[in-house]
Amino acid sequence: MDAFEALRSGFAAALTLTNLLWALAGVTLGTAVGVLPGIGPALTVAVLLPVTFTLDPISAFIMFGGIYYGAMYGGSTTSILLNTPGETGSIATAIDGHVMALKGRGAAALTTAAIGSFVAGTLATLALTLFAPPLADMALRFGPAEYFALTVLAFTTVAVLLGDSVVRGLFSLFLGLALGLVGIDQLTGEARFSFGIPQLLDGIDVVILVIGLFAVGETMFQAWSRRSPEGEGGRVTLHQFTGMSRDDWRRSWKPWLRGTAIGFPLGVLPVGGTVIPTFLSYMTEKRLSDHPEEFGQGAIEAVAGPEAANNAAAAGVLAPLLTLGLPSSATAAIMLAAFQQYGLQPGPLLFASRPDLVWTLIASLYIGNVMLLVLNLPLVGVWARVMLVPRPLLFGGILVLASLGAYSLNRSMLDLVLLFAVGAIGCAMRLYGFPLVPAVLGLILGPLSEQQFRRAMAISEGDASVFLERPISAVLLATAIVVLGGPRIWRRWTGTTLQ
Amino acid sequence: MPPASAQERLEGLRIIAPAAPGGGWDQTARVMQQVLQEAGLASGVSVENIPGAAGTIGLARFIGAERGNGDAVMVSGLIMLGAIVTNRSPVTLDDVVPIARLTGEYEVLAVPAGSPFRTLADFLEAFKARPESISWGGGSAGGSDQILAGLIAQAVRVAPSRVNYIAFSGGGESLSAILGGQVSVGVNGLAELAPHISGGTLRALAISSGGRLAGLDIPTLREQGVDVEFENWRSVVAPPGISDEDRRRLAETIDAMVHSEPWRRALEQYRWIDRYLAGDDYARFADAEEARVQAILRELGTGRGERSFADAGPYPLFVLAGLVVFGIASVLSFRRHGGPDGGVLIAPARWGAVARPTGRVWQPIAVLAVGILIHLTLAERAGFIVAAAALFWFTARAFDARHPLRDAVFAVAVSAGAWLLFARVLQLPLP
Repeated sequence: MDAFEALRSGFAAALTLTNLLWALAGVTLGTAVGVLPGIGPALTVAVLLPVTFTLDPISAFIMFGGIYYGAMYGGSTTSILLNTPGETGSIATAIDGHVMALKGRGAAALTTAAIGSFVAGTLATLALTLFAPPLADMALRFGPAEYFALTVLAFTTVAVLLGDSVVRGLFSLFLGLALGLVGIDQLTGEARFSFGIPQLLDGIDVVILVIGLFAVGETMFQAWSRRSPEGEGGRVTLHQFTGMSRDDWRRSWKPWLRGTAIGFPLGVLPVGGTVIPTFLSYMTEKRLSDHPEEFGQGAIEAVAGPEAANNAAAAGVLAPLLTLGLPSSATAAIMLAAFQQYGLQPGPLLFASRPDLVWTLIASLYIGNVMLLVLNLPLVGVWARVMLVPRPLLFGGILVLASLGAYSLNRSMLDLVLLFAVGAIGCAMRLYGFPLVPAVLGLILGPLSEQQFRRAMAISEGDASVFLERPISAVLLATAIVVLGGPRIWRRWTGTTLQ
Repeated sequence: MPPASAQERLEGLRIIAPAAPGGGWDQTARVMQQVLQEAGLASGVSVENIPGAAGTIGLARFIGAERGNGDAVMVSGLIMLGAIVTNRSPVTLDDVVPIARLTGEYEVLAVPAGSPFRTLADFLEAFKARPESISWGGGSAGGSDQILAGLIAQAVRVAPSRVNYIAFSGGGESLSAILGGQVSVGVNGLAELAPHISGGTLRALAISSGGRLAGLDIPTLREQGVDVEFENWRSVVAPPGISDEDRRRLAETIDAMVHSEPWRRALEQYRWIDRYLAGDDYARFADAEEARVQAILRELGTGRGERSFADAGPYPLFVLAGLVVFGIASVLSFRRHGGPDGGVLIAPARWGAVARPTGRVWQPIAVLAVGILIHLTLAERAGFIVAAAALFWFTARAFDARHPLRDAVFAVAVSAGAWLLFARVLQLPLP
């Protein structure tokens, strides 16, 4: 067992006092930036790069690894408590997590998120240890046709997010798709719907839409409805400080494992990110659940699954980075730059040339995961009390953080104006019963899907049969059809056999 | 070259990186910051990122906001020339003061190890026979990779508009498409492809340098009969309207920087090639490059959506039609099931059943709107602490008007705390 021998020496190097301190600094900082809307691990590592120039590369990477994992943990906290996802990977968590918090079950939601993240992070790091090279090679077999099929599969998740009214859900989706049209068309360089405003050339940032719809929209909505009975007497009472009940455990462990199984391989893919795996996990849990009607009303599975998926995906991202030098997310791209700062080139040669660095980094990921669990579990009770902060102060704080986060993204006033405009739209949508999540999915998946479709068509010189001729693409498209039509057919079939 | 000791130290130099953290321009800016301070050439050097539209947003801001400022420089380069053409930028590099070209990177044409193309000649034969059947994978549309593809086509007498160029966003995406054999040939920077070439997973067909590079067994385009020499260069420019004195000072500082020991070390560390060229020589070079890039991009047809297979087609129309159809359908559904006019507000059950608010419903929203407007007006004028405190106070007002003083105290405390966190701890510049 070559890998285990190497990993053992990696642990020996990572378990020194200095390196443990760097890991601790990393996970703490990571949790903090995960909590703050708009600031992600990518920006944090980039800002720290010049500071770490004089550090030993091993220590620096241990810290970066900690920041990266920590941000995935922190992102869930604000999603659950404040309905303000700190990262795109925790949008799915907010759907049911926040309802749980409103019902006073915030501690249970935070606990299942923390333990799920730990389980997924550890299992995925194990998978990274054992299967990184073959998985990364698999990822290379994904071309534009396969990515297009994957986005089609991801679009089917919208079906479970539509809410009460199908047409309003679809309107929300198309709103997201339309916003995704804004900006430079990646394939031709042509500007679309930017109305001559240069700041719109890069399109509308997903983070602006998420913070705007959720954080700002929520604040406006609450201000509007504060005199309603629910708004006035809706003070949350925390009845379960103990966190998860026996029943919660029973309902959580399978979603943790399924979330890991979905998140890790999708994280390996260079266009994955954490959005697609989290929503696929949400959909899987709803489809497999015995009580799908609870989804959207605070089902604990809907927090456990996506939280596991985003941490597993985060680990998956490291597989192509370390073995091929392929950055498949913004953070990975910065990590790549960090390697280059030290004159190192991740890729096929790194395992051979600097095994000490690679294995110490991987070992420190295991350690960071344990640290995060130890750090976060005792805090769950403290965090859950955020719900008890007087509402004027709570929402004032949310708006200040939202506006700082949005501005620091591109240092653009236009983003700030957009943030509040989107907030107003979000508030109106909520008042009129439009679900918000399909809009976010539309903005993220729309451009991805369109680009990959056109790339595939360009490579095949306009022949659409590629999508069916390539096996992975055909399987993914078939899965999408089954997911959409399957439950109906299944119900009809079981319905007739029962009678 | 003047010795560093005779150099006046520049105080508070600001380096603008017209890109998000992590990219080539950002790295160049941050290395300059490091080197200038380490070599004692400047003190209090800061880096500001102004990302967007391949640098043209940063350029516009630089020309507008920094006019006449002798203590600001911006990192620029070939990619910005391309973006100015494709984005039809109203400002160009003619509007800034050239200081020097710093580094350059050569481009490589590569195929996966299993590709049928053994040499550049094999590849060009197939390309000339049926240009559209060859897919070229590389970075963003109008960027250095596509420019090189166009130049090669032109050199072998194929109309550049027939190049089937597949633009990928970001280095990772194009690299994985090249490694996975999703495209016929990959065009990318040497630094990105080098480890895969030496690792044997990719085969380099040609490099765009003038002569062979030491320690690299890659034949040049020119020695294989394609008369193209090309590099993705990076440079540093100063804002328009600065005094001759300021210009001289900046030029001397940069000159001392590129001759310093820390700069040498950095070049080695990042595997950048030293392409230092200063003063009028650089200005002439930049002008020639501008003409070349403009001509080839016009022929490639980027920025105008004139590509046959990669055409957007009816997709935007489909999306807008969907938006209109479901918008109308939603309004109709209110009619049927009762919307806000029907007296019952329908909110998804998960937000709690919200009955129609009674009483002065518009008042809290109005207070909140005033807070937001004040926040937006003040943000860049009075600084973020004041603007954020105002936003906090008005928001608190909208929820509960009973404790104006307590809210004011919290407003100032939270805003100052948040500002300290963002601006000081995380080093993000805020007004």
